[in-house]
Amino acid sequence: MPGKMIYLDYAASTPVDSRVLDRMREVAELNCANPSSTHAAGREAQAIIAEAAAQLAELLNVSPGSLIWTSGATESDNLAIAGGARHRTHRGKHLVTMKTEHKAVTDVFEALAKEGFDVTWVDAGADGLLCPDSFAAALRDDTQFASIMYVNNETGVIQDIEALGTICRERDVLFHVDAAQAVGKLPIDLGNLPVDLLSLTGHKFYGPKGIGALYIADRAGCHVEPILYGGGQQRSIRPGTLPTDLIAGLGMAAAVAATRIEPDLAHLRALRQLLWEGIRCVDGIRLNGDPGGFPGILNVSVEDIDGESLLLALEPLLVATGSACNSKTGEPSYVLRALGLGDDQAQSAIRFSLGRPTTRDEVEFAAARYRDAVAHLRKLAPDRAA
Amino acid sequence: MSADPYNRKVRDSFAAPPHAGELAGGIDARVDAGDLRVEFAATLEDGRIAALRFRARGCPHVIAAAEWVCDYYEGKPAEALEVFPIARIMEDLAVPTEKTGRILVLEDAIQSLGRRLKH
Repeated sequence: MPGKMIYLDYAASTPVDSRVLDRMREVAELNCANPSSTHAAGREAQAIIAEAAAQLAELLNVSPGSLIWTSGATESDNLAIAGGARHRTHRGKHLVTMKTEHKAVTDVFEALAKEGFDVTWVDAGADGLLCPDSFAAALRDDTQFASIMYVNNETGVIQDIEALGTICRERDVLFHVDAAQAVGKLPIDLGNLPVDLLSLTGHKFYGPKGIGALYIADRAGCHVEPILYGGGQQRSIRPGTLPTDLIAGLGMAAAVAATRIEPDLAHLRALRQLLWEGIRCVDGIRLNGDPGGFPGILNVSVEDIDGESLLLALEPLLVATGSACNSKTGEPSYVLRALGLGDDQAQSAIRFSLGRPTTRDEVEFAAARYRDAVAHLRKLAPDRAA
Repeated sequence: MSADPYNRKVRDSFAAPPHAGELAGGIDARVDAGDLRVEFAATLEDGRIAALRFRARGCPHVIAAAEWVCDYYEGKPAEALEVFPIARIMEDLAVPTEKTGRILVLEDAIQSLGRRLKH
């Protein structure tokens, strides 16, 4: 296997499923019309989009009309948080979120704080889990909006969305969930979850990049102000010409996921266990985050190893030192530091993320490569105590 | 595709640095600077550096630079350690300017070694 790159970065992005590619190509060749056009081709494009909405709606157990198409999870998060908070200023200006959220969430809250909103950042425990009691304690009479992610993109920690959403309903707080790492990977029944707004993106579950959606619950008071202005499409909540082929691809990805979630989870559980068993013998290793989290992610740190050198020594493995969206800064992960890791531990963290195409051979090779890489770097290093 | 942050010399030196390891009977000098640790050890013959070895904990550029330094000084008179060719190292290994401080830690270790060899 040496020389061949091994992709273990599925939390950053996934390959497009062949059925999705086929559907996108079919639609792109079939129909070039603007779905807003009223002529026959435009109406055909509308029908293709309606079919995709039905596929995604079925995956989530919602009505197709509750879905707004966006360019991806970042836009969905921006629309939900900025649009939701601005819509509810009559309820107050206090907002609640978590320190371990993705930048697509934290940066919006920071922008809102500059607008005059008051933001409370709740802590995760050392396992990355948010205690519902701590969350409830952070809510005030003037709290109008909260956002908590479903699956953490760095650690795979799964939050108790049902418990947190129930608290929000009781306190009349609009509840948004960034589910970019969860949709298509975990069973999500929004028909029975107390969630008001939910963000998702296609490329995290074998769909195309550049297309996502925001679910807006069909209930009184659940609305967002637009953050873009234009031609009035999608009830003016998110105007702009809809990309029919990308939407068709996302719909197909949802349809495929609906049949694959349970077998995918079983596959990932077995591989994650194999990987952890293969590297847990490394002296000074620690698993970051709740071990019961999403099985497609394994985040580990190791004592006294330079993270940049570890990443190079791990080649040809394609893994991440942190969120792909944050890795260019070279800073230790703020998510892991929020879990109580020191800079040294956070800096050596490696996120292995596994996917549908990952094989046992790849995982066994990855485990051996990790062991060898750590041994190589420790052999090069002088003793810790001079 | 963005540029590879490591050139061929860095990759080769990082993967299998010939001068890495301990040196029996050598005189050593070490500098710790936060997470970065570097140690050089040398033996002298007739006033010249007969062998120079390193051990380092740091990024790939630091490890490659330590290897470069050992290769550069071997065979030179001990006094040569007083002059550290940082510009050549930065250029040869295409070290990003933001890592200059890390390479200066190697300079501290080499100059410390030079002082110890004098005594």
